[in-house]
Amino acid sequence: MLSDNNKIFHRKKILVIFLGCVALLLFLFGRLVYLMIWRAEHYSQLATELHERERSIKAARGRILDCNGTVLADNKTVCTISVIHNQIEDPEEIIRILCEELELSEEYVRQRVEKYSSMERIKSNVDKSIGDRIREYDLAGVKVDEDYKRYYPYNELASKVLGFTGGDNQGIIGLEVIYEEYLQGEPGKILTMTDAKGIEVEAAGERRIEPVNGRDLCISMDLNIQTYATQLAAQACATKQADSVSIIVMNPKNGEIQAMVNVPEFNLNDPYALPEGTPETLSAEEKQDLLNGIWRNGCINDTYEPGSTFKIITAAAGLEAGAVTKESTFNCPGFIVVDDRKIRCHKTAGHGTQDFTHAMMNSCNPALITLGLRLGLDSYYDYFERFGLKTRTGIDLPGEAGTIMHQKENMGNVELATVSFGQSFQITPIQLLTTASSIINGGNRITPHFGVKALDGEGNVVETFDYPIKTGIVSEKTSETMREILEMVVSEGSGKNGAVEGFRIGGKTATSQTLPRGSGRYIASFVAFAPADDPQVIAIAIINNPQGTYYGGQVAAPILRQLFENILPYMGIMENDQ
Amino acid sequence: MATERTARRKRKEQSEYFFDYSLLFIVLFLLGFGLVMIYSASSYEAFQDFEDAAYYLKKQLVAIIIGLALMIVVANIPYHFWERFAMLGYVVSMALVPLVKTPLGVESHGAKRWIRIPGIGLNLQPAEVAKLCMVLFLAVMVCKMGKSVRTMKGFFIMLAMPLPVVAEVYLITKNLSSAIIIMGISVLMVFVASPDYKKFVIMGLSAVAVVAVLVFAIVSTSAEGGGFRSERILAWLDPEGHSQGKGFQTLQALYAIGSGGIWGKGLGQSMQKLSFVPEAQNDMIFSIICEELGLFGAIAVILMFTMLLWRMMVIANNATDLFGAMLVVGVMGHIAIQAVLNIAVVTNTIPNTGISLPFISYGGSSVMFLLIEIGLVLSVAKRIQLKEL
Repeated sequence: MLSDNNKIFHRKKILVIFLGCVALLLFLFGRLVYLMIWRAEHYSQLATELHERERSIKAARGRILDCNGTVLADNKTVCTISVIHNQIEDPEEIIRILCEELELSEEYVRQRVEKYSSMERIKSNVDKSIGDRIREYDLAGVKVDEDYKRYYPYNELASKVLGFTGGDNQGIIGLEVIYEEYLQGEPGKILTMTDAKGIEVEAAGERRIEPVNGRDLCISMDLNIQTYATQLAAQACATKQADSVSIIVMNPKNGEIQAMVNVPEFNLNDPYALPEGTPETLSAEEKQDLLNGIWRNGCINDTYEPGSTFKIITAAAGLEAGAVTKESTFNCPGFIVVDDRKIRCHKTAGHGTQDFTHAMMNSCNPALITLGLRLGLDSYYDYFERFGLKTRTGIDLPGEAGTIMHQKENMGNVELATVSFGQSFQITPIQLLTTASSIINGGNRITPHFGVKALDGEGNVVETFDYPIKTGIVSEKTSETMREILEMVVSEGSGKNGAVEGFRIGGKTATSQTLPRGSGRYIASFVAFAPADDPQVIAIAIINNPQGTYYGGQVAAPILRQLFENILPYMGIMENDQ
Repeated sequence: MATERTARRKRKEQSEYFFDYSLLFIVLFLLGFGLVMIYSASSYEAFQDFEDAAYYLKKQLVAIIIGLALMIVVANIPYHFWERFAMLGYVVSMALVPLVKTPLGVESHGAKRWIRIPGIGLNLQPAEVAKLCMVLFLAVMVCKMGKSVRTMKGFFIMLAMPLPVVAEVYLITKNLSSAIIIMGISVLMVFVASPDYKKFVIMGLSAVAVVAVLVFAIVSTSAEGGGFRSERILAWLDPEGHSQGKGFQTLQALYAIGSGGIWGKGLGQSMQKLSFVPEAQNDMIFSIICEELGLFGAIAVILMFTMLLWRMMVIANNATDLFGAMLVVGVMGHIAIQAVLNIAVVTNTIPNTGISLPFISYGGSSVMFLLIEIGLVLSVAKRIQLKEL
């Protein structure tokens, strides 16, 4: 039995132990309060990061619409097939079915199925019907996710302008690249909770961050004009056995491009197809070079010697500087001697005495050389720069080539003379068309472009694109004189094959020999606009290396004549009463 | 008059003796709560591993039923009956511990701490036997030594007696936490038996000093990389920096506790039990309680343990003799040390070491021996006369 005395000290000691324990438990309670209130946010955030797995949802890429709202680039639903290693129950079955349905090699599929990773992509851009079929097998561990793939309903139409997208739906060339930020949208996310092994916990549900779809892009291209221009170009390319034929149709007042054709085009839905007969042995790099060539937009990426069409610029500079009037007379004996060099006219017999209008109608080289020399190097070079020829046009397509021009210091009279009639330097077709536009539209250098506006999903305008216009390139008077001269060129001069009955057409032909000289390769081209008194449409046709007849007036002019015959009524440009 | 009173007293003997229903209720509550939490914490993994979500629940339930039966038996045997087995218990625990090295030993979680009892299919942890036997042995010894416990020599003899068992548990089973618990129980019992405070204060302070020096030494030499235990110390100080090593379990427990917040995610809603907290139903079950039931669930558990200790204090203080009081103190010390250390480990207050939460953590032999100890306490309580309260 405990004695009372003993009891007292034992009781005290037991109480001390109890109180000690209570104190310790209180301390631990305080620690818990700290962890569960003060540190709660920190730890729950870390825990959520640990538990959540993220799957992204592709945003639908914005469509590309022509000026009438016809869809030129669309999306179609495709599937991405992936496997989740931890959920696979019957790997052999999965390998067999996936090989069969996706037409992949067993080795490729096996490697991915057996790889230890949380999620492994087997194939993307799988047709929806195949994806649905795989889903119906209901294989544990196989995931079929739907997303979007770019689809171009008109296959080859305007291929080099529209461009195409890569595997991650990003633009590779063309408008798809330039307007990437509008088209791409913002991908969404599916956040799912998983256990430590990465298996989704279904009861925990999922958090979705919805994707923001890309903006629709409205462009100035007109499907009908583009289609017709493509037909004409393809026809010309075939009949003249040319290397390529390019046509650009533009509104000279604001720079909106209605058509840009570069035949041969390629199929946007299969951009990586190599032309038939390509040797299989090509290295990856050679293949890529070949494809880059196929994808090249000649109107923008390549330069050429413009030849006689450039006489428009020389004439405008002469008129603007007052160095020449329509009535000024020139004498052409069939050649002109500049310094020690004798430069021939294309008509070896010479054009004789003619006024300036007729010199342009005849496309007389000596007359234009005389004008160029009369302006002098300083003045001529100033005009060259003032017209914007040394800067890029700023078109909304990637890879615009710059002008290749002599350094002013290196130019003598001979160089000045050749430049005057469009030789010994190189510009892009779009540069020539833009400069010609600014000369005939009253002196406003416009920016050629396709992009007009961006629309949201409901068709509301999100942004209207503005493009710079530089006014006062030439005076209104010079512009008017140029329109008159160029109308004469078509109605009675070298461009008469470009005349369209009932319409007032202005224009200028060119036949330029490609470098090296004497190779027998020519570029035939024709620039034309209508109506001549108030130009609403300007176009250029360029035939690269035509066989047989190669004169611009005979090869290129008829193409634009046919084009105008059809598109002028379509565009609502009325026939003249006269 | 006197004979009449005695007769009346005899008639009412049953009701005048004390049965601590509060203690029994608290224990049953903790057991029931433990079963719920074991099911919640283990069902996901149990289903994956055994295709039976209730795998651990069933095993624990069987152990609890056996334990309760043993408790009732022990509670109804006058506790002095066990006095004669004190020496035998000591010898048995000394003998059982080395058995883990024989073919009877069972390895689990990378440590050999269990022995299989042939025929029953139950695994037994000799350390649990040793805890119970040590309580009994020291209670008997305190009574036998009488007043000589109060001398310096008695003090040292008392402290020396558990050392062989402690050394065995630590050296043979590499089980530091059980060794600490056995030593802790012994110190607490000696503390109660001796009227002195000074010796214990000095002992406590020197223990704190030794620990502090050790921690300091480990941290300052951490560049050379220490052994298995020093890495635990470093992980304790910076669990997020050792998240892939020794800090992993602690960090996962902290994630669970932190993401519980005040109200918790709700019963069964823990994310961390989905294989993130390793063996969530074992030592780390308190972290799942925190995650699912929040701060208030944690308070409830702590409160229940406080009440349990309080009930045992009342019983110890009113025990009819010193032997009974010492038995209860031993059990009280056992439960208190394990509860405090477990919560301290889970909250990363002390370095990680495997200590289960009494009555709640999964573990058959642990809960069975705890219930036997509760049986002893109830047996001591039964001898208390109501008027002495």
